[in-house]
Amino acid sequence: MTLFSRRFCSRVGGFALGLLLCGFTGLRAQPSHVGPMPSTLPVSSAEERRVAYEARIEEVLEWYTGLVKPSDPLIGDLVGVSARLALGRDLERCSRSVIELMKTPGNSPFWMFPAAGVAYLGRDRLSPEARAAIRRAWSSVMQLRGDTENHWAMYYASLYLMAQLYPNEPASSWYTGKSSEENLAEARDYLIHWMRLATTVGQGEFTCSHYIGEYAIPLTYLAAWAEDPAMRQRARMMLDWIFADQFANSLDGMLHGANARTDDTSVIERWNSLSSFFSWLLLGNTPPPAAYGGFGVYFAAVARHYELPEVIYRIGVDRSGDFTQRDLKRSRRRWRGSDVEMAPIYKLNYSRRDYAVGSYQGGISDPIQAHVWDVTWAVPDPRGVHNTIFSMHPVSSMDDLQMYFAEFPEQMMRSVTTEGKASYDSPDKFLGASRYEQVLQDQDTIIALYNIAPGTRFPHINGFFSKDLVDLTEDASGWIFARGGNAFLAYRPLAPYELQRSFVYRSSWTGTKQDAGDRRLYSPHLKNGTIVQAASASEFPSFLAFQAAIRALPLTFSLEPVPTVSFTSLRGRKLEFTYGRVPVVNGRPVDYSAWKLFEGPYLNAERGSQKLTLTHGRLERVLDFNTLTITDRIKNP
Amino acid sequence: MPKGVVGLRPAEQRQKVSRIALGWLPPLAAVVLCGLAALSTLAAASAPTGAVAEPTAAAVAAPAHELILCASINRSYVIGSKMVTLSGLYRRVADGSFEHFGPNLLHLSAASLDPRDHQMIYLAMLNGALFSRNGGERFRIATSWDMTEPKDIAVDPNAPDTVYLALPDGFAVSTDRGWTWSRRERGLPDRGKYTQAIEIDRTRAGRLLIGCEAGVFLTENSGTRWRRVLPTRATVYDVRQSPTNPAWWIASTQRDGVHVSRDSGVTWSRITDLAEDGAWYNVDFGTRQRDWVALSSWNQGIVVSEDGGRTWIPRNTGLPADGRVMRVAIDPDTDALYVSVRSEDVYRSEDFGRTWTETGLKGSTVSQFLFVKKPQP
Repeated sequence: MTLFSRRFCSRVGGFALGLLLCGFTGLRAQPSHVGPMPSTLPVSSAEERRVAYEARIEEVLEWYTGLVKPSDPLIGDLVGVSARLALGRDLERCSRSVIELMKTPGNSPFWMFPAAGVAYLGRDRLSPEARAAIRRAWSSVMQLRGDTENHWAMYYASLYLMAQLYPNEPASSWYTGKSSEENLAEARDYLIHWMRLATTVGQGEFTCSHYIGEYAIPLTYLAAWAEDPAMRQRARMMLDWIFADQFANSLDGMLHGANARTDDTSVIERWNSLSSFFSWLLLGNTPPPAAYGGFGVYFAAVARHYELPEVIYRIGVDRSGDFTQRDLKRSRRRWRGSDVEMAPIYKLNYSRRDYAVGSYQGGISDPIQAHVWDVTWAVPDPRGVHNTIFSMHPVSSMDDLQMYFAEFPEQMMRSVTTEGKASYDSPDKFLGASRYEQVLQDQDTIIALYNIAPGTRFPHINGFFSKDLVDLTEDASGWIFARGGNAFLAYRPLAPYELQRSFVYRSSWTGTKQDAGDRRLYSPHLKNGTIVQAASASEFPSFLAFQAAIRALPLTFSLEPVPTVSFTSLRGRKLEFTYGRVPVVNGRPVDYSAWKLFEGPYLNAERGSQKLTLTHGRLERVLDFNTLTITDRIKNP
Repeated sequence: MPKGVVGLRPAEQRQKVSRIALGWLPPLAAVVLCGLAALSTLAAASAPTGAVAEPTAAAVAAPAHELILCASINRSYVIGSKMVTLSGLYRRVADGSFEHFGPNLLHLSAASLDPRDHQMIYLAMLNGALFSRNGGERFRIATSWDMTEPKDIAVDPNAPDTVYLALPDGFAVSTDRGWTWSRRERGLPDRGKYTQAIEIDRTRAGRLLIGCEAGVFLTENSGTRWRRVLPTRATVYDVRQSPTNPAWWIASTQRDGVHVSRDSGVTWSRITDLAEDGAWYNVDFGTRQRDWVALSSWNQGIVVSEDGGRTWIPRNTGLPADGRVMRVAIDPDTDALYVSVRSEDVYRSEDFGRTWTETGLKGSTVSQFLFVKKPQP
């Protein structure tokens, strides 16, 4: 069972659905999931792209529709109902199924948004009795708002749409105890607040491997169904915003680099995520994950309402040239144990055809599922490939949990591992960020320094060494060399280590692990560090030449009293980095205060501006939340 | 009735003016009565006597309080999974077991009832502050998106239209029975105002203490202005005022020990016998046994004192091994001791923790035991 199908099963349909879906996932092939690797080359024709997009939407809906046999009296979940309603098929059975499903409504945003979606998809297709059943469900069961930004995006988008669908109804008819107008106003206020935050100081849950769906789906619903043209426009613009950001951080459709939130599977098998579903659907340059990432169907059901702008498409698929993109994000909200409510996250992405390097400056952006940096290399087919290398400090800490959760941390430490984060308290995990890690990235060079406090639960660092690395060599110089695809990689541990067998998590819920052939660099030293230098194979006549070049690079370092490194990179740039101090590049301190909201060849926005300019070649699109305008133009016509 | 469990002296009955009971009186009378109660108890403030009270017929005959629990029965629930258990409000019924009422609510932190009308229930839960006008049948989410995950809620017994709300990012007040809310945080630190607990001084209108990340804060004007009376190095998990001695307060913390005040929360001293890192969740005082105190703890289980806090004794024998005691309460009518052991059960002791009996709320974790004064006929 894949992580996503398991997560999807648990959240959306419960165990029964899990068995159903996961069983069928194995039995019923998904054409694109198991089919040949799609071309990563850009498709020039807009019409061709649209036709292919429609075909992919159809594939998702058909696959989900096929999960339930024609002889089954009912459709057992909102997934199947959504797919059928979108196809306009089997409507009488949809109505009967909805009436049954609404007898036991869920109680969270993960039920609200599918239910709202069915309500809208079925406005003209479900029977009056089925529609009445949906309406009753929104009266009777208290829906939990959740405690993360993605929960709130789903919660308020759903509440907004339902309040809009049933206007002028009294407080007594809603679980909130508020009238339709009150619900609509509260939802609207929050959604605008969240969009303002994201477009001025950055997204909180940025470039997530899975949670991208929890934003994209409700935003698509709003873009499709909000009656207020201003809200519709906002949602369309936010969709463009997050997809542009997501795809700028993808390599042949695979999300890479830093993530506010990812999971045990996606962090090492970078393609295997819901993010790849969106790449497949909107860019067409990678296969979809199993079960279309679970949530995929909800997007597919309304995907015809959205068309990815060409400029974003081009940003997503064009890896013909090197580029650096700097972005400003923010941490999850900190309740306590911090001087700031939300810490700034300075995110960097350096992309090339053969590989990409991504990072943020270290520290905790999210307490459990953050991923700080990696080098990810391109592969001909990413399915099952662990195409990434990084190091990290595994953290299991009450202080970190209580910083972000308004709960008693003592019991959280116990419960978190049984609530979908099985690896949290495991010393061999590869998921998470640490307050004791600081990172400097310059192009395709990474320096990660660690200064772990004595007494910390896991006093070591883990380096991920993939089964898919080739020619791995522990060199006498102290460098470890390897090839990943067409990338040459040099990894320099700064403290003694050993390479151990590593086990990958097959389920973030059960904690089931499997030996996939990966290895873990285990270094049990509090003061520690990693340097990684990547290069394209095409830059050197041979792998040996690359190794020789790396050995020749000036490098000095010490670990006492704190880790400090002076390294001249393969690109000739002198990097000086001491733990606890501002890093220096070519003699100039890195000025994070000058970091813009977006800065690079493709995405540009000033801090606080609410205005993002997307550029590719002569194509330009400006998303301006101040005026709620989208402006497309062709530069230098 | 176990041996040694006794009732109240007439004088102590006068002192036992709970914040709930006060609400049944007109506000002015309540204030006057509070004042009298305070005067009568101040003399004994600094040195609880340890005297054993004589039982009264009324105390033995019928419980004067209803016991309501905020309980979660949660089998690895996370947002989005199917809720298969019944959580939220429970009330004790005649046979001593608990029955659920109201909606199925996870993430319920605290409840408070309007002392004038028990149909008026306020809740602090994940979605914000909620209120019900019909005894919990239906609720209104009273706060908006800008207030979330409150940890405590309290109706002011001295002014029952006023409700206080402890927020992870501060403190809020409603003066119109929950319809509108505003923040009152002047004097609270910009960071460090994570607020876990509220305790209203029943003897002085507008005076309350809150337990925050940065310590215990005091206001004497319903939150208009705060000052820190106890700085701490970790979140204050609970602050409580003795029901029999209004000058006697105890504050428990996550890992900065347990602190006591004998002057109504103005000055504090650490209880040195108790571990600093106990994760001391809450404290409760005896009402009939005025020197009894009980503390719940993640690391220590249940710890009690029978001599007004001079000595402390663990009373975990009979509770699940490695049991994490999340909440403790002393029944004001019978002196029975209740504890919630995380995800296990609610346990009851008739002999102040020497022996324990399961009550049958299997798998539960209680965030609050609320003894509510029953309306007088």
